[in-house]
Amino acid sequence: MIPKKLAPALALLALSLAIPSVYAQTAPAATVQPTGNAVDPASIEALKNMGAHLQTLKRFQVSTELTGERVLADGQKLQHTAAADLNVYRPNKLRARMHSSRSEREIIYDGKHATLYTPAQKYYSTVEFTGDLGELIVKLEEKYAVQMPLADMFLWGTPAASFDKIESAMNAGQDYIDDDLCDHYAFRQANIDWQIWITTGSKPLPRKLVITNRSDEARPQSVSLMEWNLKPTFKDSVFKFTPPKGATAVELHSTDKK
Amino acid sequence: MKKSLKTSFVASLAAFVLLGFAMAPAAEAARGGGGGARAAGGGGGGASRQVNNSSRDARANNVRNTSVNNVNSSRNVSRDVNIDRDVNIDVDVDHGHGGWDHDYHPVATAAVIAGTAALIGSIVYSIPPSCVPINYGGMIYQQCGSTWYQPQGAQYIVVNPPY
Repeated sequence: MIPKKLAPALALLALSLAIPSVYAQTAPAATVQPTGNAVDPASIEALKNMGAHLQTLKRFQVSTELTGERVLADGQKLQHTAAADLNVYRPNKLRARMHSSRSEREIIYDGKHATLYTPAQKYYSTVEFTGDLGELIVKLEEKYAVQMPLADMFLWGTPAASFDKIESAMNAGQDYIDDDLCDHYAFRQANIDWQIWITTGSKPLPRKLVITNRSDEARPQSVSLMEWNLKPTFKDSVFKFTPPKGATAVELHSTDKK
Repeated sequence: MKKSLKTSFVASLAAFVLLGFAMAPAAEAARGGGGGARAAGGGGGGASRQVNNSSRDARANNVRNTSVNNVNSSRNVSRDVNIDRDVNIDVDVDHGHGGWDHDYHPVATAAVIAGTAALIGSIVYSIPPSCVPINYGGMIYQQCGSTWYQPQGAQYIVVNPPY
């Protein structure tokens, strides 16, 4: 019934199938059985090391290209792209430019004033604020529903980035992002799954972040690629916003009030 | 022989690419019409050519949910779980708190705002002078009485009130 040619291959297959079960029976202690949603401590450690390293960066540029998804009423998904470039001088100076086919916007923070600027219409909104970049990011989101691009990069390594909520953490091997060899980790927490690619070695930098939103059955996903320049040439004047001629001050609506 | 074949292929490819570039401005000019209103401050990013969404299907605005961009966002925790597909989902819920890339305001199509004739999702090329700009969630809106507009390129789309 079985063609002659195939017989040895089948025998080999049967043997190879048999081996693992024999092995498992004889040495159960040595098997690496994935235990459901276990949190791998080394993966959490990798996040902590990356966060600690990010906090040591004083003056840098980071840019990102993001692909996001919108879920339409019937579950069909549309992808869109956006990009952002950030000039950063810790602890409390930042200029972020967000651009897409839909809009171009800037967030400028000089340590005393945070300004949102829309160059196309020359509209700006300035609020007074003192605090470091992590505090600025939290406040902008909570009070004004304004999200900073790459907010995580400023929160990892601070108390605002808690790893307690992570229900599953695993090492997913290594991968290249451009020419950088990276460790790839995958996490689950609350209603998101997320993956991060961190450069290997003693100066870990995140190069890619993927977040899957599980709160919708269509699972809209974002993919962000990050590029770092740790020897930037920008001047401190980039953090100062002076309204250009013809610019109009616009109210920034606080989410506290209705 | 092999080399010359390769170079000739490269040359023809280059010619093709050049042709493509040469044709692009003509196509742009042909489409033109309302020119001059190119989004200001384009600068880098290569996105300086004006975007025209007038052919965009209204269904593309009927958004029930989006991706999220940050892990450490209060938004991820506080979001409503909104996966009931049989219900006509209130598309406006939660979207004021969108990620930094969510610069489309979702609109419930074919709804008319009470007290106005403005059709949600419709595109207009100019707005009344009495409109007041407001920055909500990092996006600029124009409030004109009970009608709200969001700029999209050189046009405006009628949206649900953002708050």
